[in-house]
Amino acid sequence: MAQIILNNVDNFVGRVKQNAGERPVKSFQPLVRQSSIALSAVIVVLATACGGSTTSSGGGLGSGDLVVGVIAPFTGADAGLGPAYYAACLPAALSVNGNGGVGGRQIKCQQFDTRGEPADAVPAANQMVASNSNLMAAIGCTSDEAATVVPILDRSHIPMFCMTGQSEFNKTTLKYFHRLVPPDEFDAYAMVGSALFGPGHAPYKRFALVFGNDIGSQAFVGPATNAITKLGGTVAINQPITLGASSYRTEVAAMLATHPDVILTEALGSAGTYMKEVKQQNGTPIPFIGTSATIDPVWFKDVSDAIGVDDVIKYYSAVDLGYNLSGPGYSEFLTQLNAATSTFPAAAKYKGRGATLHLYDGVIMTALAMVATNSKDPTVYNPAIIDIANGVSGATVVNTYAEGVAALKAGKKIRFVGAAGENNFNQYNNSQQGYILVGVDKDGNEITNGTLSQAQTQQVINAGGG
Amino acid sequence: MSLYVAAFGFGLVSVSVIAIAAVGFTMQFGITNMINLAYGEVMIVSAYAAFYLNRTGVSIWAGLLLGAVVGAVLSFVLNRILYAPFLRKGTVPIGMVIVALAASLMIANLLLPIVGFYTSSYTYDSGPIVRSGGLVLTSVQVAIIVIAVVLMLAIHGLLRYTRLGKAMRATSANPTLARNCGIPVGRVVDVVWLITGALCGMAGVVAGMNSENFAVASGASYLITILAAAVLGGAGQPYGAMIGALIIGMVTELSAAVISPEYKEIIAFSILVLVMVLRPQGLLAKRGALAAAG
Repeated sequence: MAQIILNNVDNFVGRVKQNAGERPVKSFQPLVRQSSIALSAVIVVLATACGGSTTSSGGGLGSGDLVVGVIAPFTGADAGLGPAYYAACLPAALSVNGNGGVGGRQIKCQQFDTRGEPADAVPAANQMVASNSNLMAAIGCTSDEAATVVPILDRSHIPMFCMTGQSEFNKTTLKYFHRLVPPDEFDAYAMVGSALFGPGHAPYKRFALVFGNDIGSQAFVGPATNAITKLGGTVAINQPITLGASSYRTEVAAMLATHPDVILTEALGSAGTYMKEVKQQNGTPIPFIGTSATIDPVWFKDVSDAIGVDDVIKYYSAVDLGYNLSGPGYSEFLTQLNAATSTFPAAAKYKGRGATLHLYDGVIMTALAMVATNSKDPTVYNPAIIDIANGVSGATVVNTYAEGVAALKAGKKIRFVGAAGENNFNQYNNSQQGYILVGVDKDGNEITNGTLSQAQTQQVINAGGG
Repeated sequence: MSLYVAAFGFGLVSVSVIAIAAVGFTMQFGITNMINLAYGEVMIVSAYAAFYLNRTGVSIWAGLLLGAVVGAVLSFVLNRILYAPFLRKGTVPIGMVIVALAASLMIANLLLPIVGFYTSSYTYDSGPIVRSGGLVLTSVQVAIIVIAVVLMLAIHGLLRYTRLGKAMRATSANPTLARNCGIPVGRVVDVVWLITGALCGMAGVVAGMNSENFAVASGASYLITILAAAVLGGAGQPYGAMIGALIIGMVTELSAAVISPEYKEIIAFSILVLVMVLRPQGLLAKRGALAAAG
């Protein structure tokens, strides 16, 4: 036991020392960083002294359980996000564990609640890192908390797959950060594209921008405004709303007074209240287009309870990343997702959720990277994640963890094409795909209504300055 | 102009919801000397009780009555099994605040696995829209305003014109003296918890109706507004809480119309801070209904 404790502390101190020479992240004060490192170190010492951790010593893949940290909001206004990411980890763990684990090591999924607040996310991230020396990867880190969580994880050399669209990560140099979704402004461009080129309606001219006053939601406003105005539309009203307010009657009255054709929105947790009041004051809802985050069972229940399922189907549309929801990678995901309902009954609701698919792929790619490098050391296996995602010359395409392990054992290079399809990481560890225009059925399942052509997408992006 | 008139009408609804909750909260404090930080969670428990009844097809108005009963019973039990024992041991006020905070967290975390994190909504018909002189309200919103007015009048009548009200005021002013005068202080306190708990329960249901949906986390956000109204009016003063609710509710809605929704809470709470600077005891601290019985 003494040897294990020594190794844990040494490993952690080693991580900090290695990091000391790196350039500081601009947006964080050194004092805060040093304090959090010191705090983390104290927690590690205490945690290990209490015998609270289990790990292995020696080289290779080691032994004992591995942890994937799901660091996301599980409470608060964005509480619907965490479960979608947890629902990604569980099937990935089942897929890996059912096929021999990572060199025999089983993956466990553990939730770390950030409450959707940057300040609450810091202790959550520190606790996750400090109390889990067997942490193989982290997933989640939404726009609510990415700014504070990502630097902590990167310093600690924890590979992460973040569902943040913040533009500060568009050209990040953080090595352990991975993003499988486009920046937020691309969601904004796609929403404008949907309003202008979407099926079933004439191009909308007057726009109401109704976004929550949180950091993540407000990121859409600037790009959307630029794109709308440069493409000849009018922003009738830009209305940041306080999330969680008990009513929005006055806001809705002010918005309706501007006579918009369409509402572009992301106001998670408050959409039901707002849309019910639109329906009450206007007599009927008016068309509203949501971000990809609104393709969510929690959001659907909130809004459909408020205005009725029929009106949601009729007036709501959204944008989402394009997925086939088919193929061997998706089939394996779906099989394991259904199996995961024994521990997380709501898991099956996320079978079409883009974030869930992507993060599932992220966990699988990390596990394969560990196998490929035969290492439990993230400084060794982290670079292999992108090699496996993008594929190197002559790589064999694999769609499941089992196929990947088999190919690796056969001495082949692999490219993982998983549940969400191909990945193409750029030099900034960003991987992006195109957009589809979607609606929902009576059960809240996503239905594809159309796609944005490459030319349409590029037109909106250019207009928005992207 | 029509937007401002409409906002005034919406403000009346907000005032009504806040007033029902704030009067219950401030009476609890004024008579039992207990800052019940679990008040928001009791509101939510009551709101969920009404929700489950409503889900079986029963009218939300019956749910409102059930909410009142649940709020009354839960508040009574909370006092009897948690607060009263600590008070008997002489726990200092800050200690009681911590106990109440712990109760709040316990209730919220006990409720979460039962009801989940999803938002919930009542099923009811909002009724025809009532339009008058620029005011645009649903029939249910008008009903909420009427309920609030009736409850405020009832509280006024209780405190001013009944023996129980007189006993409450005496207990509030000096419990030891009241006991020596033959007032059964313990029983009065029990009744206060039942009455204020019923107000709390009804407030939870009307708040859920007002915002169209609610979740476990809503309790904490309700409490902030309730505390603001109670403190603004003068802690422990029912009439003060009514005035506090009026100011907070109206300023919130009108500032959203005049300036920007983004700043409505900032403006409302800035007024609270300003009043606290100019009159730290609150607006009605020395002239409230719970002043010494005459």
